[in-house]
Amino acid sequence: MKFEARWLAEMLDAAPPADELAARLTDCGLLVELREQGDGSEIWDVEVTTNRPDAMNHRGLAREAAVATGSRLRPIEFELAENGGEVASLAAVEIAAGAPCSRYVARVIRGVRVGPSPEWLQRRLLNCGVRPINAVVDATNYVLLELGQPLHAFDLGRLRGRRVVVRPAARGERLTTLDGVARELDPSMMVIADETRAVALAGIMGGADTEIHAGTTEVLLESAHFDALSVRRTARRLGMHTEASHRFERGADPGIAAVACDRAAHLIAELAGGGLAEGRLDVCPRPWQPRRIELSVAALAAFAGLEIPAVRVEAILGGLGFAPARSGDTVRVTVPAFRVDVERVADVYEEVLRHVGYGAVPAALPVLPTAPGKRHPNWQLVDRARDAALAAGLTEVVTWSFIDPGADRLVDSQPLCPGTAVILANPLATTQSVLRRSLLPGLLSAAQGNLNQGERGLALFEQGRVFAGGAAGPSEPERLGIVLRDDGGDAEARFRRLKGVVEHVGTKVGLPALRWKAGGSPWLDENAGAILAAADGRTVGLAGLLAPEIAARWDLGAGVAVAELALDAATSPPLPRFTALPRFPPVVMDMTVEHGSELGYAGLEAATRELAGEQVEGVGFVTRYQLPDGSGRVRTTLRLVYRHAERSLTQDEVNAWHADLRRGLAERLGVGFA
Amino acid sequence: MSTARLAEVRASFLSDLAEAGRDAAEVEKVRVKYAGKKSGLLNELTAALRSLPNEEKRVYGQALNELKHEIEAGLAEAKKAAVTEVRVKHAGGLAIGGRQPQLAAGPVDVTLPGLPVARGAEHPVHIVRRRIEEIFLRMGYDVEAGPEVEDDWHNFEALNIPPDHPARDDQDTFYLEDGHLLRTHTSPVQARVMESRQPPIRIIVPGRVFRRDSDLRHSPMFHQIEGLLVDEGITFGHLKATLEAFLHELFSDRVAVRLRPGYFPFTEPSAEVDISCIFCAQKGCGVCSGSGWIEILGSGMVDPRVFEAVGIDAERYTGFAFGLGLDRVAMLVYGIPDLRQLFAGDQRLTRQFA
Repeated sequence: MKFEARWLAEMLDAAPPADELAARLTDCGLLVELREQGDGSEIWDVEVTTNRPDAMNHRGLAREAAVATGSRLRPIEFELAENGGEVASLAAVEIAAGAPCSRYVARVIRGVRVGPSPEWLQRRLLNCGVRPINAVVDATNYVLLELGQPLHAFDLGRLRGRRVVVRPAARGERLTTLDGVARELDPSMMVIADETRAVALAGIMGGADTEIHAGTTEVLLESAHFDALSVRRTARRLGMHTEASHRFERGADPGIAAVACDRAAHLIAELAGGGLAEGRLDVCPRPWQPRRIELSVAALAAFAGLEIPAVRVEAILGGLGFAPARSGDTVRVTVPAFRVDVERVADVYEEVLRHVGYGAVPAALPVLPTAPGKRHPNWQLVDRARDAALAAGLTEVVTWSFIDPGADRLVDSQPLCPGTAVILANPLATTQSVLRRSLLPGLLSAAQGNLNQGERGLALFEQGRVFAGGAAGPSEPERLGIVLRDDGGDAEARFRRLKGVVEHVGTKVGLPALRWKAGGSPWLDENAGAILAAADGRTVGLAGLLAPEIAARWDLGAGVAVAELALDAATSPPLPRFTALPRFPPVVMDMTVEHGSELGYAGLEAATRELAGEQVEGVGFVTRYQLPDGSGRVRTTLRLVYRHAERSLTQDEVNAWHADLRRGLAERLGVGFA
Repeated sequence: MSTARLAEVRASFLSDLAEAGRDAAEVEKVRVKYAGKKSGLLNELTAALRSLPNEEKRVYGQALNELKHEIEAGLAEAKKAAVTEVRVKHAGGLAIGGRQPQLAAGPVDVTLPGLPVARGAEHPVHIVRRRIEEIFLRMGYDVEAGPEVEDDWHNFEALNIPPDHPARDDQDTFYLEDGHLLRTHTSPVQARVMESRQPPIRIIVPGRVFRRDSDLRHSPMFHQIEGLLVDEGITFGHLKATLEAFLHELFSDRVAVRLRPGYFPFTEPSAEVDISCIFCAQKGCGVCSGSGWIEILGSGMVDPRVFEAVGIDAERYTGFAFGLGLDRVAMLVYGIPDLRQLFAGDQRLTRQFA
């Protein structure tokens, strides 16, 4: 918000130099963000937080400055010359029963000549970012900037029945506001009306019909206090935001209506001529009740961690208008009308601490039990997954939690789809309007982006939540998603690389032992996809090469391998147990088995282990190759590690076991040997 | 065409294969050259069989078969070796994993680059998160978690932000069609923890949060970390010392910490916290906009209304809370200019922090 530095200084006795004033204001919580040279004065952009409407005017800010710099706020002084007849004989004011308006003050000025305001006033308005209009309107804006009270000047001659009433709008009632927009109103909105029609939106904007114009001679000056909530709701419903609504929404000063009215009336009479009618019209159905708070100086010290002398507490609160009265340790304050934000003792503590300065409070670490901090199990789980993926050499990405509805629809057919889609009621863009049910769409977009940037190899992962609708609100299962793409290798090589990563992560995260079953269509390639299941049959993941149709949607070529794992299926992995190290050397023998493709590797290995017995310590895969004769048969080479716990083996005995094993496998599986 | 041609092809195959080494793409080229379905050399050699005199067909055929098997076995072996070697790409796109070094005569050129290590790269936001978690764990704080889809009570009302409160304007909210919302800060987890247990409470809460806003410095999704300490006798001085200790650990002991009065609905008094600019030693630079200070977090003493809302005795207990943007810290310490760039999924960004 813009302030004219010279105007602020004029309000203070013994104002310090501008640099010091700006620094002290910043220290007490009114951050002077920007200082620039305006016409005849520096202009300051001050960040006034929403809870401090009292400081959204020059006098309010000067009050803070006075306390912060040890100077004094000058009283408001002007002489009111009333000479235009009795106000009650010229106009009338009414507030409808129950209307959210606690006070309505008005004055009447007759015989004005509407012309431009003097240069000094125009300059001041322009410095504060307000456009000069005419002397009457400028006077109301000047007082708004000076005292914070929104005012409105009506052309009294155009107010039918020479009266105003604050009342709810009638259903369908129409009003063209000052900005030229014709608005249709409803009874939730408060208006100022004359005898027959609405003439202003209460606390927001006046109407075009009754505005001050070149021919205006009689002015009715409104200075009212409207309830924050009513103004806020109306302004929001109409999509309006004005200087007046900004202040009323945050809580205007209920005590300033009469003073501000006098001040503006005085200015209008001075600048536009005319006679000010005697007295004010003043309707006040709910007089302001001051709030009283008691505070203990000792309790304040305990709260702050700093002893603050009682006289200092009194001085600060006195300067801020809290009229403190102290007896011993107790200070009683009366919250001034303009401080709508101060409701309880913690708020008063803040007032004192702000002006003592946060910098004055000594830093002291709290003393607490020496208990070690614990990490929530969910964080332990997701960081286990993250660490496993990082250890596998993958690169982490973070993608949006909301995705395109088209991409989301594809997830319906994904084996790991957690449930119904969760849709945003007010998305920023339709491409980000559905909460993701799978990490894969985001990861595939990332893959596409990387390839478009000329990246060739990809090894990406994301850890994050997906969302699914449920009766008790959406669920948020944790997932790990993986995308791999490298330049070379056939489908089998790519699949096996992915499988290696997935099994590694599964073990480290504590997923149940994974059963790999061909599947995953339509997301995965029919010839290179798998669904991962736990022993109890629960699906905990999918892994494989992307199906061509899915790949095409993201402009990805062939050979992209993806996986997604449901981390919620994991439990804390067991502590590894030490196995005694062997003392005797192994004998390693390869065996090439020729068999039909209907026998999967898992079946071959299981049978081999079973038939081999305890002399075989390990069975591993070496290679497989397809016979070129068109028979569809393959040759699989296994590597067997023979070892005895208590002695070295001889080649002869191992040869004999190896031969037995061949025979056994031939008998059981009908396989041949190369 | 003769068996001599076969020997020639065999020799060139073996040399090509050795040349290809463990580079899967090179091995594939060798496969296409010799065993490719359309124009592989084996096709040509097989076709030649027909045009041979009958007496030569048997010898040639046998030798051809042997060569076929040899090529297939050789390719299978090379392919296996190529795929078992982990291949990594740099952000810059330099392929590694490359050729098997030949047993060259002479000394090794020790100025050749070392082979890159296949290391993963963590996202900068999570690097920062874990660093901050670590600092607070050492101070005895628990790391808490909570839902990203929230209700109005925990996200707003319990935190002293009633409906129609102007602070709701600053936190433009995404709503779901069922009336739930995406949490606009990690603070609802504070409320949940305080509802579920009594002080002493010492927690931090990292997590994803959402606001309906998008430009250079705002993203509809970002990350926060939140801290809360509640006990008897907690003072504003405790808050100050805790934040100083934390910021000294995170940045440097030389960093100056400044608390300024601020406003948050759920703390009273509230404080904005600045650190002295870590880039210019407070001489004034682009990062601190010439002020010498960088705004880093928001904090304050827990507002008694929050205690009342969650069922904690506001007469007996006091506490403090603070929060900061993880993305903001990451942008600051690593010099990343655009917040939204963090969520574009670009591996060239993450790999810079490997």
